[in-house]
Amino acid sequence: MTNTEPTAIASGPPASISSGRQSGVHLPGDGHMWFMVLGDLVIFGAYFIVYIVQRSMAPAAYLQAQQHLNITIGVLNTLVLVTSSWFVAQSVQATAAGQHERAIRLLYGGGACGLLFIAIKACEWSMKITQGYTTSNEFFMFYYMLTGVHVLHVALGVLILGIVVRELRNPRRQRLSVVEQGATYWHMVDLLWLVIFGLLYVVR
Amino acid sequence: MSATVLSASGGEPTDAVRADPASKRDLWIVFWIFPIFFSLFGVIFVLLARVIPPPRPDVTTDQKVQWFAAHATTIQIGFAAVCVVFGGAAIANGYVAYQMKRMSSGSTFAYAYMGSMAVGTLPGLLLVALCFLAATFRPREPRITALLYDLGMLSFNGSLGCFATGYLAFAIAILYDKNQIFPKWLAYVSIWQIVTEVIATQMWVSSAGPYSWNGSIAFWLAVIVFGFWLNCQGIFLKFATDRQPAGTRPVD
Repeated sequence: MTNTEPTAIASGPPASISSGRQSGVHLPGDGHMWFMVLGDLVIFGAYFIVYIVQRSMAPAAYLQAQQHLNITIGVLNTLVLVTSSWFVAQSVQATAAGQHERAIRLLYGGGACGLLFIAIKACEWSMKITQGYTTSNEFFMFYYMLTGVHVLHVALGVLILGIVVRELRNPRRQRLSVVEQGATYWHMVDLLWLVIFGLLYVVR
Repeated sequence: MSATVLSASGGEPTDAVRADPASKRDLWIVFWIFPIFFSLFGVIFVLLARVIPPPRPDVTTDQKVQWFAAHATTIQIGFAAVCVVFGGAAIANGYVAYQMKRMSSGSTFAYAYMGSMAVGTLPGLLLVALCFLAATFRPREPRITALLYDLGMLSFNGSLGCFATGYLAFAIAILYDKNQIFPKWLAYVSIWQIVTEVIATQMWVSSAGPYSWNGSIAFWLAVIVFGFWLNCQGIFLKFATDRQPAGTRPVD
C-alpha cells in the first residue's frame, strides 16, 4: 500500500520545477505547490535534525520518555493516513480518466481518513495530557510540537481536498492540475507522518 | 530619501512609470518607507537594543540590572529612534494593505491584515521599547528593573499571535486573488511564517534548549523564515508597484 504514497512525488522530480512543461516532463499540479512542498520538507527536515541532535545528547532520558507512547496508536494512524493517500492517488487517476463522480467519492474517502487521523491524534493527546506527560519533558515537547504542526497540515489538507471537490463538482472547472495539486500536498503530509512516526515511535 | 524617490520615480525603465511618472510618485514615496523602516528595525532590534535574540530569562535580578547598565546607551539610542520612526510600521503595513486592495479578493482581507499588524506593533514594538526605556532612563529598585526586563521580553514575544493573524489574512487573500498582485507561493511562505512564529511563543515557558530564547527551533528557524518572508514581501511589493498602471487606484 505504501507504493501508492510517492505517486505524485516520483513523477515530478525537483529538477523539473523550473523547466516544467517546456522540457516535456509533466509536472503534477503547479510550481507554487511544489515550492510549498519542498520548502515544508526543508523546514521539517530542520526540525528532525534538531530532534536527532537533542536526542543524541540525552539518549537515556528520551528512551525513557518514549516508552510512554503507545505504538499501536501510531501504527493505526499510519494505516489511516496511508489509506487516505491511496484514496487520493486513485482520485487523480479517476480524474485523468474523466470519471469525475468517482474521483469525488474517492476524495471524500481521503478526507474522511484525514478527519479520522485528527480524531485519533486528539484522543492520543488527551490521554497523554491526562497521564501528566506535558511540555515540561523535552521528548514530549518535541512530540507535541512535531505532531501538532503535522496535524495542522492534515487539517489544511482536508480543507484543500474540500476545495478540490468543489472544483470537480463544477463541470467547467474540472481540471486535472487542481486534483494533482491537492494530491501533491496530501502525499507530502503522508510522507512527513511516516518520518515523524519513525522518529518518535519506532527509533529506539 | 528625496534622492532615492527621485531616481525611483523619475528614471526607472518600467513601462508604467514612463507612461506617467508623476501619477505614481506618491506610491513610490510610500513604498520606499517599507525597506527603510524595516532596515532601521533590524539595526535597532538586533544591534542596538539587543531584543533579537530576546534577553535570556534564566538570570537573576542582579544580572538583569547589570544587563541594562551594560547596554543602557545603545538601548536609549535605539529605542528613542523607535519612538521617532514608529509610524513607519503603520505606513509600511498600510501600503501592503493598499496593494492587497488591488486584489480580486477585495478590501476585506486588506483591512484584516492592516488591523492585525497595527495591533501587533503595540506590544511587539512600542511596549518593549517603553519598558526598556523606562528601565534605562528611570532606574528604580532592582526588582522593578527586573520586572521591566521580563515584561519587555514577554510583550515582544507575546505579540506574535497578532502578526500570525495578519499573515493568515495575507495568505488567504493571495490564494483567492486572480489579479496576481503577489505570487501564490508567497501565501505558502506566509503559512510557514505563521507556524514558526506560533512555535516561537514557546520561549515563554522554555528557558534553555531548542525552544528557548536563543533556541534553534523557537528562535533561529523562526528568524530565518521571517527574514525570508519579509524580503520576499518587500521585493514583490516593489513588483506590484511597478505593475500598477499609472493613474489607477484600487476601489475603496
